[in-house]
Amino acid sequence: MEPLAPHEKIFVDSDIVDDENHGEIACHECHGGNPDDPDWKTAHKGVVKDPTYPDATTACGDCHDEINENYQKSLHVSLRPYKLIIDKRASSNTVIRNKLGCAMNNHCSECHSSCGQCHISRPNSVEGGFLDGHLFQKKPPMQEVCTACHGSRIQKEYLGEHEGLSPSIHKQKYMKCDKCHTGEEMHGNGKEYAHRYDVENGPKCVDCHKEIYKREAKNVITHRIHKDKASCHVCHSQPYNNCSACHVGKDKQGLAFFKTKSSWFDFKIGLNPLKSEKRPEKFVTLRHVPVDKRTFDFYVKDALSNFDTLPTWKLATPHNIRLKTTQNASCNACHGNEALFLLEKDVEDSEKEANKNVLVPVNLIPKKQKWQPK
Amino acid sequence: MKYFQLLGLAAAFCMALILSNTFLCHAYEDTQCFQCHTSAKKLIEATREIAKTRPALKSSETSGEG
Repeated sequence: MEPLAPHEKIFVDSDIVDDENHGEIACHECHGGNPDDPDWKTAHKGVVKDPTYPDATTACGDCHDEINENYQKSLHVSLRPYKLIIDKRASSNTVIRNKLGCAMNNHCSECHSSCGQCHISRPNSVEGGFLDGHLFQKKPPMQEVCTACHGSRIQKEYLGEHEGLSPSIHKQKYMKCDKCHTGEEMHGNGKEYAHRYDVENGPKCVDCHKEIYKREAKNVITHRIHKDKASCHVCHSQPYNNCSACHVGKDKQGLAFFKTKSSWFDFKIGLNPLKSEKRPEKFVTLRHVPVDKRTFDFYVKDALSNFDTLPTWKLATPHNIRLKTTQNASCNACHGNEALFLLEKDVEDSEKEANKNVLVPVNLIPKKQKWQPK
Repeated sequence: MKYFQLLGLAAAFCMALILSNTFLCHAYEDTQCFQCHTSAKKLIEATREIAKTRPALKSSETSGEG
């Protein structure tokens, strides 16, 4: 996304004084600095750009105490799943782990969010800048906040920006992110989750589509037959973006950079790597994520020596849902259609071991059907 | 008479409360922070000055989708 001009990033709308909740708080109460100093260079000494990160207690906690209580455990702040996953793949050697920790600080930890980086400004990872002259946004705007970070996959899928693919039907119904991803989910509920798919108040299709298993519902037979066997996305997603390796390093000036190899469109059904009571389906859509055994080679060799403990094809919930898709056009558009399933031949030799638990053995591909429900 | 005195006192109290709130709410409008950050002209001048001395913050070597 195009960054704002430098002065736009810090322009304050004077209407802020009319904000009955925040208008009474003076700038320096949150940001520090010297409000009486006429020289802007010295006045900014000690100024904190985002007073809500890493701790929002002083800036927001007095009034928003319930939200603030769970703040540190919100996945947008803690990035816990990221850390746990790298940790699982990492070498057990302490020296290597320390160097890896340094690499993660340089490259991964900037992807967090905060109260301020959703409700006041764009996230730092897209160079920040006030959303609307520092006026507080109760609902963060989708395209300046949510998809600023969740861009290359979610945004393009949801808005239909990929050539030849349609936007999500939910987009066409004018739904914004917060329709499914509520404030409660974003703010966390105080539990330390290991994965975003574990979050209890995360969205579930059946929260809205309550009727699909009822007798009088359209396609009830199809939905009942596939219940707990295939996730909703298996039938209702379009092809989606998959990413290959990502490598990180520092340039000659000492600035951190990343390089990802090409991405490609695909639609692959695999075995569910996160089977649980909440996600009991045997078949789910899988997406290749941008990780590689040599991702951190710039910092330390063999950092991910336990790379094979986790798959590189991961459970995905593509955001390009349609009622009718190529694979649900008929039973046999999917059944017996090997091209839709993640088979051993689809995976690079170096990643076969990592993905052994998500690959679909040919004998597990549902057989072609003679009977079709009306 | 006592009734009018009480009424007058209550009205004066309310006026004082409203006025004090108004002044309290907007006290920081006079600060340097507010004066500068609500003026596009001042910010353009300041950010241009900063840009002259500040080195690049992002590496040009970054490539691909994040």
